[in-house]
Amino acid sequence: MNTSERPKASLRPSTFARRAVLRPGLVPVAVVLGMWALLPSLDHLPVYKLPHLAQVASELWHLAVTGAIFNALGDSLSRLAIAFVIGATLGVAVGVAVALSRALNDFLMPLIAFFNAIAGIAWIPLAIVWFGFGSGPVLFVIANNVFFIVLYNTLLGAERIPPVMYDAVRTLGGDRRRTIVREVLVPGAMVGVLGGLRTGLAFAWRALVAVEMIAASNGLGFMSIQASRVFDGSTVVSVILVIGTVWVLMDRLLLRPVEALTVRRWGMLGGADL
Amino acid sequence: MVGLGTASLPRASTGSSRYAQLFGRAGSVVKLVLPFVFVLAIWQASALAFGLSNYLYPRPALVLRTFGVLVAHGILLSYTETSMWRWFVGVGVGTAVAIPVALAFSFYRPLARMMFPLINFFTAIVELAWIPLFVLWFGYGFKVIVLSIGYVTFFPVLANTMSGIGQIPKVSVQAAQTLGANRLQVALHVLLPGSLPGTVTGVRTGAGYGFRSLIGAEMIAAQSGLGYMIFESRANQLTQRTVAGMITIGVLWLLVDRLYLRSIERATVERWGLVRKAR
Repeated sequence: MNTSERPKASLRPSTFARRAVLRPGLVPVAVVLGMWALLPSLDHLPVYKLPHLAQVASELWHLAVTGAIFNALGDSLSRLAIAFVIGATLGVAVGVAVALSRALNDFLMPLIAFFNAIAGIAWIPLAIVWFGFGSGPVLFVIANNVFFIVLYNTLLGAERIPPVMYDAVRTLGGDRRRTIVREVLVPGAMVGVLGGLRTGLAFAWRALVAVEMIAASNGLGFMSIQASRVFDGSTVVSVILVIGTVWVLMDRLLLRPVEALTVRRWGMLGGADL
Repeated sequence: MVGLGTASLPRASTGSSRYAQLFGRAGSVVKLVLPFVFVLAIWQASALAFGLSNYLYPRPALVLRTFGVLVAHGILLSYTETSMWRWFVGVGVGTAVAIPVALAFSFYRPLARMMFPLINFFTAIVELAWIPLFVLWFGYGFKVIVLSIGYVTFFPVLANTMSGIGQIPKVSVQAAQTLGANRLQVALHVLLPGSLPGTVTGVRTGAGYGFRSLIGAEMIAAQSGLGYMIFESRANQLTQRTVAGMITIGVLWLLVDRLYLRSIERATVERWGLVRKAR
């Protein structure tokens, strides 16, 4: 083609082209989709092992039209929300209460570190014993997981507050219960709390899928493992895609805005990880 | 009062340091063990008070005896070995794949920019969500578990190695290039050692994710290992074995993380670290 025309064209690409078509990040996505479309026919893979792109697309369409995927997603997300709120509320409340007393803090820290080390998922069998199959064990395991992560991070955040802050507030006549909590502990530990909430939500989401596979009778995880048992590869792959998409959306719409807001409000960078 | 206070201060501090020398270790062990003794006491007392069955709420004494049984039969050791081997291979595979990818991405930034959306999407897919598909591919067992652990290890190692490379001063690369190093030599002698602190941090994070993934995967797709043991014992109404397994899992992870991973990280950061200080 005429080379003299090219720079002119690339100088003013249309907004649509710049946003969607010319984005280099879409190239590998297209390559992967292309390979996926070609691979099963080249390699004579059985369909249940690697369903065709078109099959997965039609399965997704089917799941969306019948509403099955939205029902499963709704079950999963409502469990996540309930368990997360329970775990996080208790974690922050206990964390703030414990952080007020150095002795209690020193006493509980090893225990909390230990319970944090018992992977949340490892509670699944015991949760089934206590609550039977269904929503019970899912809620318990996730709330438990979130609780210890948030508690641990709240205490770590409180530990990082320089003691001089407490002394300053006390010197100025602040009383232990109200002023210290409101003026020192809560804002000071906020870095840890928010880091804990973020880590907690990520771990909760991972645990959710696992618990639903093992202990639930509905939800995304259950849908996927059930499909795998009857060699329904298209549903398995559909659920994988939905799980990825949902987390990308949660990250973009929930975690990043909150992070950006808090960085501006409290001038903080990152939080404590596990 | 004031004079007395200042005079007694040094004495008190030497006293405490002598105490620390003599009993410091023992003192901190007591501090560490005491909370657990307390929990055991509450556990035993509540078991007696509520009178729940051992299936619902196994007593600590029974769990302790179960430990004895599991060790005596060699079950605990053999399952621990199986699990740790899977975990080790999985973390190794994830790391081995992530490091060359990180090097390639750091060399060809456009490639990294190109691949990031895809990688972000795969990061968003929980590793355990792949298990049903892996089971379709490989059936139950070793491959599924190692793949799932390798998958979840890959991303933090990749991210941390790249940020490690990002912290290498340009001057170091330019110095090597001035001395006539080609791209491969720069990668091997500057980028790889310079990225090590980041890589090790990533491996520690990934190993933690991998450990959780190990237990989950073993519950879903294995016939051996600690995850299998705690899950199968529940089905056999042997809840005490489940609890014993959970305690083993917690202790195991704390030992591995505190004794090995943390000290390796510290040593690497201190030896090769350019910017960061060891925590």
